[in-house]
Amino acid sequence: MIEVTIDGRNVSVEPGTTVLEAARSAGIEIPTLCAHEGLPPEGNCRLCSVEVVERGKARIVMSCMYPVNNPGLDVRTVTDRVMALRRFVLQMLVDRNPKAPVLQRLCSQYGVKPRLAPEVEPELCIRCGRCVRACETNGTSALGFANRGWEREVTPPFGENSPDCIGCLSCADVCPTGRIGWEEKGGKRSVWGKSFDLVECERCRERYATPEQLRFAGVDPETARLCPRCRRIEQQERMRLGNRGA
Amino acid sequence: MRLANPKALEEWRARLEEAAAACAHLPKVRVCAGTGCLANGSAKVRAAFEAEACARGMTLPVDFAAETTGCHGFCERGPLVVIEPGGILYEKVKPGDVPEIFEKTILRGEIVARLQYRDPNTKKPARTPGEIPFYARQHRLVLGRCGEVDPFEIADAVRLGAYAGLAKALDMPPGEIVGMVRESGLRGRGGGGFPTGAKWESARKAPGRHRFVLANGDEGDPGAFMDRSLMEGDPHSVLEGMIIGARAIGARKGFIYVRAEYPLAVKALQEAIRQAKERGLLGRDILGTGFDFDLEVCRGGGAFVCGESSALMASIEGRAGEPRVKYIRSTERGLWNCPTVLNNVETWANVPRIVLDGPGRFRSMGTEKSPGTKIFSLVGKVKNSGLVEIPMGTTLRTMIEDIGGGVLKNRRFKAVQTGGPSGGCLPGKFLDLAVDFDALTTSGSMMGSGGMIVMDERTCMVDLARYFIDFLAEESCGKCTPCREGLKALQRILHGLCSGRGEPGDGERLRALGEALAETALCGLGQTAPNPVLSALRHFPEEVAEHENEHFCRAGACKGMYWPLVDPSKCVGCGACGKACGTGAIKGAPRIPHVVDRQACITCGACLEACPFSAISPVRRERPA
Repeated sequence: MIEVTIDGRNVSVEPGTTVLEAARSAGIEIPTLCAHEGLPPEGNCRLCSVEVVERGKARIVMSCMYPVNNPGLDVRTVTDRVMALRRFVLQMLVDRNPKAPVLQRLCSQYGVKPRLAPEVEPELCIRCGRCVRACETNGTSALGFANRGWEREVTPPFGENSPDCIGCLSCADVCPTGRIGWEEKGGKRSVWGKSFDLVECERCRERYATPEQLRFAGVDPETARLCPRCRRIEQQERMRLGNRGA
Repeated sequence: MRLANPKALEEWRARLEEAAAACAHLPKVRVCAGTGCLANGSAKVRAAFEAEACARGMTLPVDFAAETTGCHGFCERGPLVVIEPGGILYEKVKPGDVPEIFEKTILRGEIVARLQYRDPNTKKPARTPGEIPFYARQHRLVLGRCGEVDPFEIADAVRLGAYAGLAKALDMPPGEIVGMVRESGLRGRGGGGFPTGAKWESARKAPGRHRFVLANGDEGDPGAFMDRSLMEGDPHSVLEGMIIGARAIGARKGFIYVRAEYPLAVKALQEAIRQAKERGLLGRDILGTGFDFDLEVCRGGGAFVCGESSALMASIEGRAGEPRVKYIRSTERGLWNCPTVLNNVETWANVPRIVLDGPGRFRSMGTEKSPGTKIFSLVGKVKNSGLVEIPMGTTLRTMIEDIGGGVLKNRRFKAVQTGGPSGGCLPGKFLDLAVDFDALTTSGSMMGSGGMIVMDERTCMVDLARYFIDFLAEESCGKCTPCREGLKALQRILHGLCSGRGEPGDGERLRALGEALAETALCGLGQTAPNPVLSALRHFPEEVAEHENEHFCRAGACKGMYWPLVDPSKCVGCGACGKACGTGAIKGAPRIPHVVDRQACITCGACLEACPFSAISPVRRERPA
């Protein structure tokens, strides 16, 4: 274990823990957008900056990526410099995505007001890439970034229906701004312009997954009678009966 | 064919030298076949020489040889031809000139005066490259073989000393090679200026089964072509440096990452690798010492950001060329998470000489903190533009006035832009600055890869900042928020300033945005992206203020932000401006001072550029109250 100081408090963590994890374990909150505990960190939103002092030198690092490797690391999460940089990042993001609730909340907390340039079309995507990483982590890799710079956008390859998309909605699940729209209507689910059938649970009648999703998980949709919850319930019941029988 | 041991290499070299000495008296020409000269038709010039020789009944290559070489550096004057014996230099040679050159120079030793280089100031002709200040002031060490040898012929390079450094290094313990490079004080030529020895040491000590050496040849700065010329003109110097580096850190595989737009460099390197392998200088059991090392050329991903180390490695790995956050050095976890040494091609090309001549010799050139020489590409509004290699610590004045021959049309020098898009502009008061890594950084610019763009009073510093920010915004990968959104925000303000829509406070907004961007961006490209803006604010604040508050561009570069005014005392009525004007806005008769009709003028600036007497200058517009 390594001893570090975060905002004057001593925190002890495993080597290699990120500053963000260390801070959170001590109950110190650092704002993040692109970080998600289920996904590998990428450090692209640049909101979670903190100041670290190592060998007498202070510098700005991204807490979601910076590993704690040396004892005596001194982390400061709320200095004037850090706050100014976070305000800058929020300003840049909210100027393009003024309606994203997560940004509105953070901006009111940091006192940032959107300044809309007339030629900019308001959007909801902050290009944090959580959806891309989620899809990649799943093993489907049906989403990616296209174009570069200001034009960068999340899309299935060539903007077409991706044969790799299994309609699992992991992307929409991790999206911090609600940019990824999806719909379930009349026994169909649609996301990224692709429509999926839904498999119904025999027991609770919930349409719980797409056949593609089940197949990807190694389950034959034809034999999958129950949703995961009902399957567990049935299993429990079977075990209880079995016990009584014995 | 294979050289069995270092001794065989030396014997081969001796034989090559002997053969060359034996036919030194025979006439031959060296035609530059660098990208610049090829584009100007040098391949046809060479063919014309051979055809002429055959027509005269000579046997090729016994009685006469027409050799192609890499870049001579003086690209602006191409195609360049050097005639031996005598080393006579001709510039801008056309196939039609060849019979005359043959008749006079090659057969009778006379000079064809009209093909000679003439000093732009004194008009004095120069016989050989050594008589031209552009060459005479240079110290061509790294570029030593460039322009002398055929890059597609390993024997040429070996004759002039290639792989002698390798032979020596193979006899040394790896740690000693690293020590030598460390002692030489060699710093990264790609721009960062990181001590190369320290980098090697760190990779050598890092734990790992596999290690890699990489060469960065993804030169992308506008106006820079040092690395291209080196790779095209003397690929073996890069190869040799990398083999020595691999030996030093224990790598068995290396990649040369070459910009996709450099097809000739790719071809030259691939052929060099093939020939080096054939001779046993690369591949398995190098020179019979049991050391294995393989090299591969990797074509770039076509983006400026691929020159950034982590993006370059991602690109080699086959992923999108985007940088990643690295709080762990690539010498510990680089390519495929293995210890990796990435150096610029010019850095690699310095290594053989250091090993061969020893670190002391290397340190005897340049400055204390930045020893050695540096190749610059001197371009822009300068009389002699091209590739120059000079010792570190040479002043900007020597570079621009002596080597460059001064500013074009004898206009007033305004600034020199160094370091490419990540660098900055230095005004006249820095002309006596001795150029090295630290001096450039402390004066608010940077070495970068060595681009040097000279600008005269017709360059608007705000417009220049706009140009570079446009370039960077185009090239930003868009991965991190500050670079993607911040550059767009800078662009918006700069475009406003350059089109007469500037607002008071724009300068301050630019500064605040720029400083925050520099601190928060993910990679080196983003962190240095605001430099063109910040250096304009630092060195030319009055110009920014004029754009902001008065909507005036003193350089006459921003449309609609000035009027061209003819000074009647300087105007001789030559009519040059009238010919240049596209809208007929210049009124006047021959030999009488002209005037500009403001109704018709669209402030394109053509007249300002055309006037040979600098009689037209931009003046403020009256602004509606």
